[in-house]
Amino acid sequence: MAAGGGGVADPLSPAGVPCAFSPLNQAYFALASADGQLRVWETANNRLHQEYVPSAHLSGTCTCLAWAPARLQAKESPQRKKRKSEAIGTSNQIDLLALGTAVGSILLYSTVKGELHSKLISGGHENKVNCIQWHQDNGCLYSCSDDKHIVEWNTQTCKVKCKWKGDNSSVSSLCISPDGKMLLSAGRTIKLWVLETKEIYRHFTGHATPVSSLLFTTVRPPSESQPFDGVTGLYFLSGAVHDRLLNVWQVRSENKEKNAVMSFTVTDEPVYIDLTLSENKEEPVKLAVVCKDAQVHLFEHILNGYCKKPLTSNCTIQIVTPGKGKKSTPKPIPILAAGFCSDKMSLLLVYGSWFQPTIERVALSSKEPHMCLVRDISNCWAPKVETAITKVRTPVMNCEAKVLVPGVPGHHAAIKPAPPQTEEGESKRKLGENEISIEERLGALDIDTKKEKDDLPQTNSFPVLLTQGLESNDFEMLNKVLQTRNLNLIKRTVLRMPLHAVIPLLQELTKRLQGHPNSALLMVQWLKCVLTVHASYLSTLPDLVPQLGTLYQLMESRVKTFQKLSHLHGKLILLITQVTASEKSKGMTCPEQKAKLVYEEESSEEESDDEIEKDSDVSDLFPVT
Amino acid sequence: MAGYKPVAIQTYPVLGEKITQDTLYWNNYKTPVQIKEFGAVSKVDFSPQPPYNYAVTASSRIHIYGRYSQEPIKTFSRFKDTAYCATFRQDGRLLVAGSEDGGVQLFDITGRAPLRQFEGHTKAVHTVDFTADKYHVVSGADDYTVKLWDIPNSKEILTFREHSDYVRCGCASKLNPDLFVTGSYDHTLKMFDARTNKSVISVEHGQPVESVLLFPSGGLLVSAGGRYVKIWDILKGGQLLVSLKNHHKTVTCLYLSSSGQRLLSGSLDRKVKIYSTTSYKVVHSFDYAASILSLALAHDDETIVVGMTNGILSVKHRKSEAKKDSLPRRRRPAYRTFIKGKNYMRQRDDILINRPSKKHLELYDRDLKNFRVSKALDRVLEPTCTIKTPEITVSIIKELNRRGVLANALAGRDEKEISRVLNFLIRNLSQPRFAPVLINAAEIIIDIYLPVIGQSPVVDKKFLLLQGLVEKEIDYQRELLETLGMMDMLFATMTRKESTSVLQHASDGFLENKKVES
Repeated sequence: MAAGGGGVADPLSPAGVPCAFSPLNQAYFALASADGQLRVWETANNRLHQEYVPSAHLSGTCTCLAWAPARLQAKESPQRKKRKSEAIGTSNQIDLLALGTAVGSILLYSTVKGELHSKLISGGHENKVNCIQWHQDNGCLYSCSDDKHIVEWNTQTCKVKCKWKGDNSSVSSLCISPDGKMLLSAGRTIKLWVLETKEIYRHFTGHATPVSSLLFTTVRPPSESQPFDGVTGLYFLSGAVHDRLLNVWQVRSENKEKNAVMSFTVTDEPVYIDLTLSENKEEPVKLAVVCKDAQVHLFEHILNGYCKKPLTSNCTIQIVTPGKGKKSTPKPIPILAAGFCSDKMSLLLVYGSWFQPTIERVALSSKEPHMCLVRDISNCWAPKVETAITKVRTPVMNCEAKVLVPGVPGHHAAIKPAPPQTEEGESKRKLGENEISIEERLGALDIDTKKEKDDLPQTNSFPVLLTQGLESNDFEMLNKVLQTRNLNLIKRTVLRMPLHAVIPLLQELTKRLQGHPNSALLMVQWLKCVLTVHASYLSTLPDLVPQLGTLYQLMESRVKTFQKLSHLHGKLILLITQVTASEKSKGMTCPEQKAKLVYEEESSEEESDDEIEKDSDVSDLFPVT
Repeated sequence: MAGYKPVAIQTYPVLGEKITQDTLYWNNYKTPVQIKEFGAVSKVDFSPQPPYNYAVTASSRIHIYGRYSQEPIKTFSRFKDTAYCATFRQDGRLLVAGSEDGGVQLFDITGRAPLRQFEGHTKAVHTVDFTADKYHVVSGADDYTVKLWDIPNSKEILTFREHSDYVRCGCASKLNPDLFVTGSYDHTLKMFDARTNKSVISVEHGQPVESVLLFPSGGLLVSAGGRYVKIWDILKGGQLLVSLKNHHKTVTCLYLSSSGQRLLSGSLDRKVKIYSTTSYKVVHSFDYAASILSLALAHDDETIVVGMTNGILSVKHRKSEAKKDSLPRRRRPAYRTFIKGKNYMRQRDDILINRPSKKHLELYDRDLKNFRVSKALDRVLEPTCTIKTPEITVSIIKELNRRGVLANALAGRDEKEISRVLNFLIRNLSQPRFAPVLINAAEIIIDIYLPVIGQSPVVDKKFLLLQGLVEKEIDYQRELLETLGMMDMLFATMTRKESTSVLQHASDGFLENKKVES
């Protein structure tokens, strides 16, 4: 299970977005997007649960996040099993979410209250917070930063308990051992600290690049021959930026081995890692690694000391779009995160874009070495805005001010002022989180279906593409622009294109006007548009005649055959109508003839038992006989 | 007997892109082999000595690949941080590389640990190169300095502090051991002379300089920065010769083909453009899947290696020469048969009578000569002819029409043959150069086959297609006529404004029309 709670998103790569599943049964998925907003999704039904915009979301974007362990909410029960069951019972109230920001502050956000719980600033970090970890039992919070320090916070008092220098360069990742007595920190090298004394217990070689993820993998059960001292048989896993190897290290009390005991290879830089802890010796550790190239690699391995060769994955999962038509190849859909469900037999996959991820539970089968899921996410691109259940916190601002949010054009989630949070809202919350009427839901759905589009949103602007294409003479780029059928789009593009591109465009059009009428017809639309929009500019050109002369001659030579062609067309039309008419008449006559034939046959040859009936029929038809 | 005059085949200019020598040359490569590296590939360098291995710098590693293997034959991974600019020495035995932590390391390509480490730069070293005498190394770094190092005793010889921003590219002269050029983000290129302790030439590129290149002769300097590639004349003291703007994103790398006749530039817009170094026109371009950071060509252009931002290395090998002389050549007449009698000197009263040269007639011409018109038409309607040389087909139809036997030739055909004719019409009717002839042919076909129409669904379908095409063409021409009207207006305003001299200057027929109208 997600022992480290997540927060393993790569801090340096643009692809990695800080995100994490809520602990225990993974009811929620929190994602801090690049535009500075925090969104919490319900994993069961893939719905936006909460949305929160920190007041300084643009200057200090969220760099990492971590859910508080569920035990914090259920403090009173000391026994492990009981605690677990209670935590599941109260899992709807998984509360605190710690957010580290780029300016060094740490925010504690309460999902129950839907607002900021507290801020940890004083005496903390001066630079970007790279990783946050909660301590399982005592409510402490550990954070590391680019300012080389590690800070221990008391979350009750919001004060710094301890602050010490962790490395000579920035500290990029942290992890707390399962028994809560050790802390791992990593920049490039990895250090293991004793939490009580804040002393270094062990050094490890680490990686060549900053370590992006650290996770403790397993503890050998204490019922072994020697008593468990909190150290022996402890393994941990590390992944680094730009590194396709995940290393596994072993901590031993007697041996000061500095190198990795084994490693896993993946196809690209890891973005998100999750693993299941094995409870006995025979059960393998399951590891899921999400890579930058949109693949999930699954490993199953029984940790047992040194292994020379890097291990390759048992199973890979990819999600692709369905190819439309024959030509378009399926494209991989980026995967944001993957977490094992509590039964260890299925995987929660979060994929799509960060502003509208899709969460899906995928059952794992150990037999197939490769799984490729075809999913159509194109209709999910329209951003959903469910005002009824979102708790949007916007900074206090003038209602006339316009806020520009990075992301998809047309995404206005943050612009809307927060819905009035009155006592009614409070009472509602007390009743239960997801209490909205069916009517409201349907209403929200209706809005969504209207917004849905077939295609992906057009993000690249046509005038820019056109000028770039003309400059570099890029055939594909020009094709993309010039082969549009939308007259309005053509007009707008021509209006906005820079003047110096007009003549090159005319020359390009001259080239394209000579082809098949199908494509040339589109080019004429462009030409007309250019001539109407830029008429005044063109008429001031001193060398207009040499510039447009060839074009004019070309067109004139083509329309020379107009009369003859019309003549031919007339003939053809006549011919076609004749053919169709004859076919129609054929169709009309056929059944008649058939009916006649049948009738004659019946009348002449029927010598069977029901003669009388037939006779009567005949007499009906021909009353004269 | 009067000689038969073969049908004149009208030639038309070929539409579309011209196939030049360059297109053939640069298209003659196999499909690329793609190798995934650990990070963005910032530099590719070929060893100047056979077997022409190449060093690829990506992330914190340097891989050396052999010519055909996709696995690195050697890896240098002892870098604490990102490595930059692994470059071979002229003899191919030493390799120098810079690093993000400011170190410059020198490797023997057979060894593993660095031979020399030059410490002195305080920031990342993005460019290193060997000087022409092989015993010195030039390096440029993000601390704005350019340093010259001595290899034998690994000491710093000189430091130049003339740049005012990151130094990101550099190149040592191949001829003079004391000369080298560096380009910097302060938009300048500086040529340094180790004998004078300062720059001898400084030119302003106008954009942050990403790559520099010296021609082998040392006379010309090429710089890339922003969207421009600029060529400078060093001998004239740094005069700008040409400025090329053919990319729509930053140009990141430059390379000279082995003959020195072609310049290659790679850019973030995912294209490699190839320029002629005589005309400085783009002669060819390649497309790649991602933004290009580095580019190198092997000896004799045997291999093109391109490194991209997504860490993929694309390697293209030249196709091996096709073996042509497999068929035994037909035995030709000996040389002396051709020269027989040529050296005969003419006497005074001799009259020279040439042997009439035998004219070779095409097959369709032979048919036409013998008045087998249907057969001739059949011949030119063969698919090989209609697709490759439609102008021959059209010329024959025209000739038949001129003789007045087109109707005869077209008549009496079965379903298969007539649909072949119609196919040809559908394919070529919309081409203005063929249209007048083909429209005529179409009318004749309709006249001939009108009585038997509706008997074959295949032919009916073809007629339907033809009708659709003609309808589209008519629509198109109507649009064109409207556009012509617009242009007339445009030209009319022009003629009113301008003096008549312009009109006389333009001898095109359409302008005279305009004058008459106005």
